[in-house]
Amino acid sequence: MSTKLAAMILAGGKGTRLLALTKKVAKPAVSYGGKYRIIDFPLSNCANTGITCVSVLTQYESSDLNTYVGNGEKWGLNGVRSITSVLTPKQTDEGSNWYRGTADAIYQNIDWLDKVDPEYVLILSGDHIYSCTYNAMLKKHQENKADCTIAVYEVPWAEASRFGILVTDDKDNITDFQEKPKKPVSNLASMGIYIFTYKTLRAALIADAKKEDSEHDFGKNIIPTMMAQKKKMVAYTYQGYWKDVGTISSLHEANMDLLLSGDPNINLYKVQGKNKIYSEDTHSTPQYIGPNANIRDSLVNQGAVILGGIDHCVVSSEARVREGASCKNCVIMNGAIVDKGVQVSNAIIGPYALVSEDVKGEPGNIALIANGKAGN
Amino acid sequence: MKRVLGILDCHNSCTLGELTSDRPLASVSFLGRYAFMDFPLSNFCNSGIDNVGILVKDHQRSILKHMGNMMSWVNNTKSGRINIFYNEKGQMNPLYNTDINNIKENDWVILKSDAEYIVFQSADMITNMDISVFLEEHIERGEEVTGIYKDVDDADVAFIGCNTYNIDSDSYVIDVYQNKGESKKAKVALGTWIVNRDTLNRILEEAEKVDASWGMKELLAYCVEKGIFNIHAVPYKGYARRIDSIEHYIEYSFELLKPEVAAQLFPLDRPIYTQTYDTPPAIYGETGGARNSFVSNGAIIEGQVENSIICRGVKVGKGSFIKNSIIFSDTKIGERVVLDNVLIDKYSKVNDHHEIKGDKEQPIYFKQGARI
Repeated sequence: MSTKLAAMILAGGKGTRLLALTKKVAKPAVSYGGKYRIIDFPLSNCANTGITCVSVLTQYESSDLNTYVGNGEKWGLNGVRSITSVLTPKQTDEGSNWYRGTADAIYQNIDWLDKVDPEYVLILSGDHIYSCTYNAMLKKHQENKADCTIAVYEVPWAEASRFGILVTDDKDNITDFQEKPKKPVSNLASMGIYIFTYKTLRAALIADAKKEDSEHDFGKNIIPTMMAQKKKMVAYTYQGYWKDVGTISSLHEANMDLLLSGDPNINLYKVQGKNKIYSEDTHSTPQYIGPNANIRDSLVNQGAVILGGIDHCVVSSEARVREGASCKNCVIMNGAIVDKGVQVSNAIIGPYALVSEDVKGEPGNIALIANGKAGN
Repeated sequence: MKRVLGILDCHNSCTLGELTSDRPLASVSFLGRYAFMDFPLSNFCNSGIDNVGILVKDHQRSILKHMGNMMSWVNNTKSGRINIFYNEKGQMNPLYNTDINNIKENDWVILKSDAEYIVFQSADMITNMDISVFLEEHIERGEEVTGIYKDVDDADVAFIGCNTYNIDSDSYVIDVYQNKGESKKAKVALGTWIVNRDTLNRILEEAEKVDASWGMKELLAYCVEKGIFNIHAVPYKGYARRIDSIEHYIEYSFELLKPEVAAQLFPLDRPIYTQTYDTPPAIYGETGGARNSFVSNGAIIEGQVENSIICRGVKVGKGSFIKNSIIFSDTKIGERVVLDNVLIDKYSKVNDHHEIKGDKEQPIYFKQGARI
């Protein structure tokens, strides 16, 4: 793997539908899987691909996320030939702008890209959960001498109208792109993961920036324009687990997928070996399970103290489930406390939340408890 | 912070039979998450001591493996440094492989350092102490040597072989004697002591005049006897245990399952740091469960675990029942296995349908890589 591939991770979104969980942190920094933050997945994927040049573009509530990414050390992206940059909107000679769209975020950092001088640019989203390397996708891009390769995912036909759908010919060349089509002719959904040949991307971004009516978005503007210009556009079909956790219920579901009773495609124990997911190592004490605890079908991180019952739960570091408490189908985030005797079901308990009375969500309507009252 | 060099002494550690056949006590796994050396190294770090030397007696591979990039226990990764002191000559000549000879062999570390004070800790002691308080007192009083001790009332069965102090009304050590277990009460030296740079040089000079097989422990007792310097004795009141036998190793591991004991060793403001292995959280299956146990990340539990310590990467198969046992890293336990009072070292494998029961007084130990 050469430094020819630079990764740009879009991590500026608020994730409004995650409600109180993203009140103070950006969506990519939201806790997931007992130990991780969502952005650990794309960053680990970059590390596992051998990419040495990564930037994370942040905007909404960026301080936590910027601190977390730091110099990339947690993912080993701080080696001698590596560069990890956190790129936030900035003041420039031309004034000061927020990132106005996904494409604009990259456009505003063209100088960074020029310095890095990559042959290809990998555009990723900071809030997708999947474990893979991008080598096969890059290979396909190179072999096809493509201008742009888009990762696609086969979605059930019935749901295809909810996605940006790509139509391809028998050689995987993209022939059409339809944003949320009423009558889809393909079930290949764009994952928002792109490899561009940098020269082409650079020209496209500069042209797009000048258009006043553009939303400066990859899906809405850059890709359709490139299609219209008859650029070589190729689809790469991704196979495996992939989840865009946009809502409380999908975040809950993605957590539960990690359990042994969950989705075998995202079993963290199967993706071990070369493709580890790296994360922050907290200075926790060992996970302690009390003498009267009842644990079943759960994922529990170091530092957690379980004195009560947990069934079908994902429990983060320093979370405490006290004597007589019972949690069913819950995500218990770092530092949260479920008080003595309290019954909670079908819920996400946010970081440092204190649950002192019973909460009952429904499997189809996951409750969110994010009061931060346990104090950090 | 004054200029201080910390020294972690691995020379005085006991061996724990097979458990230390391939590793020194310093890197033996504890509570599924730590190595013993994490405790003194974290004490240095939490006390603001960023320059540390480790006096390695043997098995340096195991120490280096645990140290990784050496940066898990320092505050500033540039100015902070952990040096390995290794006595090449001593390897050929075990009788003279002492901490004093090791320091002499690596004296450049001290010569090059601008430390005015040197703080020693011993790798066989589990404590969580704020050394900076003792150091401040040492400097304020202008002492030459400060020795940290603990008033214990189980000296007849624990801390055997450790130095103990007799002190006068001003808390100076009158004489140093080796604990031979005669009485329950004793002031046991915890292997943590502070010495001025000049005084350390004098100790090293004195070492030339005495038996070359003596270690620091013997030499300190000698210096007090000869009146070469005074040791000011300061009590430490926190949790302190010396790992000196496999029985104590087991006893101290399990006593920390009591939350009130664990709270003494793990105060929230002084975490114990260790090497990261990037293992996912522990996972319990639908038939899995645990009670009164420490379970490490990377463990997959599909059987039942009780009063046990499960280290990283351990797998417990369906229908198995693990009781009163310690299962070391990456050991795989098959289905319908019953273990009671058993210690199974790393990388082992227990096939399905086995039943192994030791008793509390004599747990059964299986060495690293065992196939059962």
